[in-house]
Amino acid sequence: MSDDIKIVGLLCNWCCYGGADTAGTARMQYPPNVRIIRVMCSGRINPSLVFKAFEEGADGVFVGGCHIGDCHYDAGNYKWSRRAKIVQDIIEEFGIEKERFRFEWISASEGEKFQKTMKEFHNTLKEIGPRTNTKTASK
Amino acid sequence: MSYLLAKSKDDDILKAGECGGAVTSIFKYLLDNGIVDGVLAIRPGDDIYDGVPTFVTDSEDLLATAGSYHCSPTMIGELVRKYLFDKKVAVAVKPCDMRAVDELIKRNKINSDNIYTVGLNCGGTVSPITARKMIDLFYGVDPDDVLSEEIDKGQFIIELKDGSEKGVKIHELEHEGFGRRENCQRCDVKIPRRANIACGNWGAEDGWTFIEINDERGEELIEGAKKANILDTKTPSENSIEARSKVEGIMIKMAQKNQNANFDGANEMEEWNRCIKCYACRDVCPICWCYENCELNKSYFKEAGSVPPEPIAFQGVRLSHMSFSCVDCGQCDDVCPSDIPVSLIFDKLQKKYYDRTGYIAGVSDEKPPLYSPEKSEL
Repeated sequence: MSDDIKIVGLLCNWCCYGGADTAGTARMQYPPNVRIIRVMCSGRINPSLVFKAFEEGADGVFVGGCHIGDCHYDAGNYKWSRRAKIVQDIIEEFGIEKERFRFEWISASEGEKFQKTMKEFHNTLKEIGPRTNTKTASK
Repeated sequence: MSYLLAKSKDDDILKAGECGGAVTSIFKYLLDNGIVDGVLAIRPGDDIYDGVPTFVTDSEDLLATAGSYHCSPTMIGELVRKYLFDKKVAVAVKPCDMRAVDELIKRNKINSDNIYTVGLNCGGTVSPITARKMIDLFYGVDPDDVLSEEIDKGQFIIELKDGSEKGVKIHELEHEGFGRRENCQRCDVKIPRRANIACGNWGAEDGWTFIEINDERGEELIEGAKKANILDTKTPSENSIEARSKVEGIMIKMAQKNQNANFDGANEMEEWNRCIKCYACRDVCPICWCYENCELNKSYFKEAGSVPPEPIAFQGVRLSHMSFSCVDCGQCDDVCPSDIPVSLIFDKLQKKYYDRTGYIAGVSDEKPPLYSPEKSEL
């Protein structure tokens, strides 16, 4: 990999994961730094998952879900949107820049939006630089 | 919501209790009439710095629990959840106790039908170690000679064995790093309005207790105690109501000043790095009721040899679980072996959550918005 920025992407199965698929089948280029983890719904994601990613040395965490109102399970993304606000507040208390955490609503047809978001996120992280993490540093 | 002044009709209680002994009388009424199985209150242990939570089932034993205990901060809410869930109890609660009870009711861990709450107005508590040190330093008195203590009109007052009283301004004590616990200096809930009734001496005439009735249950309590001929009541004057709200206003203003001064000064990372992952803050937290099945015990967060912990994978997880419900009781500060100001950071996050959602832990009516199934964004 050209640079060493690690992005963990937690994507909802029904929308954002499909969006990444669309980007892939249409051969849209986006930074290969993102490691995608498929979850069934953004409402399944809790702050601990994000924190665990940061603990293991991720430079940025991205969460993608369905557009508000489009949740496959009716209200999962509303729940995630409330949790996301708490994550934003908490990571600041641990010396993690708030730009390192991002969430976005991307539908299965929006391959272009997925590509654009990944490029943007990668650029932001490149500007801030890699994260110094006590645990990975000692390994 | 209505106000009244009350005083005990029982001579023994009148002598033992503080400002009229209304609280003890109400407990006596509840016990004697079989309305509750018992009363959870604090009685002194070896001395006034040692408060022992006691479950009183015989009204004869109530006298020992009368009086104020500012030097033994105890958490009532967790005791009720752990040991008294299936009993009908009456408890005397400070505002932070009441907020913890309220948060636990919202989590179905305390049955609201089973609990009578008699609130006590609270200007703050003092850690027993600090109390001993400052009584020695500022009052020039042997801490063991102190018979009782009281906080009144901005002073911490001690009564000695020979009957004399000595007071020092709390402001001066705190300026030197003594005085109330740090979480109490920050606390802006001074009257427990979620309790059935809230009692205190603010604005009351000498020898009377000022009572604010908060709900129907509180009304029943007072009416019952009056009928049982144990409680004397009268309507307070406009002046006393005004004096009371003035005291509350001053206290809240002071608390907000302390919040502003302390929240920005906290250097979280430096504090977190002292953490040795002893789990004491989690175990003592009244809101953390599910620690037997705690996520921190799961294998993905409990790796062998991960001491010191990566802060975000320990305190971060705790913050995400309950900081929005932090009642600022300060128990975590008291138990932390590394002296991390845990409650400062949790309280700061709860204030941030308030700014976002308007939710105040243990004060707002609804459940925390994080638990809401509603289809709305913040």
